[in-house]
Amino acid sequence: MTKVLFQKGLFEETQGEPALIGSKCGSCGQVLFPVKSVCLNCMSADLESIRLRRDGILYTYTTVYMASEHFPPPYTVGWIELPEGIRIFSQIRGWQENPLKIGMDMRLYIETLWRDEDNEVIGYVFKPVIGET
Amino acid sequence: MREVAIIGVGSTVFGKFPEKAIFELGTEAVQAALKDAGISPKDIQFAYYANLYGGMVEGQAALRDAGITDIEITNVENACTGGATAVRRTWYDIASGLYDIGIAVGSESMTTSPIAGKLIPPAKGDLSGELGMNTMAKFALSQRRYMDISGVTLEQIAMVSVKNHHNGCANPYSQYKKEFSAEDIINSRLICDPITQLQSCSTTDGAAAVILTSLNVARRYTRKPVIIAASVIRGGDYAFRQKDITFSDVTYKGVKGAYTMAGIGPEDINLCELHDAFAVNELQHYVELGFCERGEEVALLMDGVTNIKGRLPVNPSGGLLSKGHPLSATGVAQIAEIVWQLRGQAGKNQVPDAKVGLTHTLGGEVADLEAGAVGVHILKV
Ligand SMILES: [Zn+2]
Repeated sequence: MTKVLFQKGLFEETQGEPALIGSKCGSCGQVLFPVKSVCLNCMSADLESIRLRRDGILYTYTTVYMASEHFPPPYTVGWIELPEGIRIFSQIRGWQENPLKIGMDMRLYIETLWRDEDNEVIGYVFKPVIGET
Repeated sequence: MREVAIIGVGSTVFGKFPEKAIFELGTEAVQAALKDAGISPKDIQFAYYANLYGGMVEGQAALRDAGITDIEITNVENACTGGATAVRRTWYDIASGLYDIGIAVGSESMTTSPIAGKLIPPAKGDLSGELGMNTMAKFALSQRRYMDISGVTLEQIAMVSVKNHHNGCANPYSQYKKEFSAEDIINSRLICDPITQLQSCSTTDGAAAVILTSLNVARRYTRKPVIIAASVIRGGDYAFRQKDITFSDVTYKGVKGAYTMAGIGPEDINLCELHDAFAVNELQHYVELGFCERGEEVALLMDGVTNIKGRLPVNPSGGLLSKGHPLSATGVAQIAEIVWQLRGQAGKNQVPDAKVGLTHTLGGEVADLEAGAVGVHILKV
């Protein structure tokens, strides 16, 4: 099995701290994910790549009971709202152990998303943050 | 711009017809519309044909077998809004004076499509699609949050399905024609929590067609032309601009444009066919379409205002929930339904004294955008 990235440039892991990589516009301040070459809000090219905050809150979620291209049912997906003010669509893991609730704290992890014939596809997921203050 | 009227409409029965090709369904709808208008296929000057999951030049094949060849034919795709887009383009080509008589057709065979039995996925390579997004998940995510922040219950949402399935029972074109209780709907198969099978429209094949002419030409064919008072198509804005995923900004903007174009407001609408792909959508759309304020939508449903005998009947045809949803056909079929209603030909589902009707379709799932497109039409007699 070869480990491959789900899509290039979406995230990085430095010293064990994973982060999604977004763009911040120097002109209007809009934060975008994934990285763009121009700001979709104001079309400025003055964009800086930034590490997005690892923790966010659960904006909404659903458990899907039909297969998708890569995920056998049931799987759970949701929108995570980050402190930067944007929502990230993501697979959610750890929902079997910890019942999900809108507004709960969520944290980013880098994990295997799916396996196909030769590859292990690595991407990002969010999981509930439990038992921490 | 000239006034444009509808002189003929036609539809196939909606249902599962895996033995019929997309163009065969299309031909059937075109023939029905020609017959309804009392017009010869030779008099059709141009056509727009909406289809998503078929092959090339589907429109030419469908029109060929209805005797329509050797004219300008354009095939269009706009996901669930494809049919409405075909009508919009046909309207424009007549309103602008380019042509006098045209036909808009939508046809889809979901049972033979590559996504038969699957949840409607975004295009290949779409970021959220690769991560497990599909059209039903999108609205399940909206519904979960909607229930959480508004306190609207699953029982209340299920009543949309109860109403529309009730309406569909008397519609000869409907797929289901079966009554369901709120309990049946809630206890049906869970697909994208909290959306169950009967809160969702099903896999459907079908086609519909409408014939448009300038108002002057229409008077040659009918004493009761139905006038297109507004025709709007609008694509979705960036998702980061959508404050709240339980409110469809593109629907709100699209319908606002339609009201302006028609010179009327939501209080003037007598009936509506809207995009109830999922039961929750109907409640949300009441607000976006201006039928009530936020927080009043459940009352509108529960008080019977949107029943066939109510003040503002919504989805008297049974809607997508009961009638079915052959993607590209839906927008055209909604217009056909309103035309029958405004002419007084809607049979057991006739809405009394309707003069102004509104149609709304919404569809297409693509990363970074709120939605693909919305289509809104206002028809009047
Ligand atoms: Zn900007």
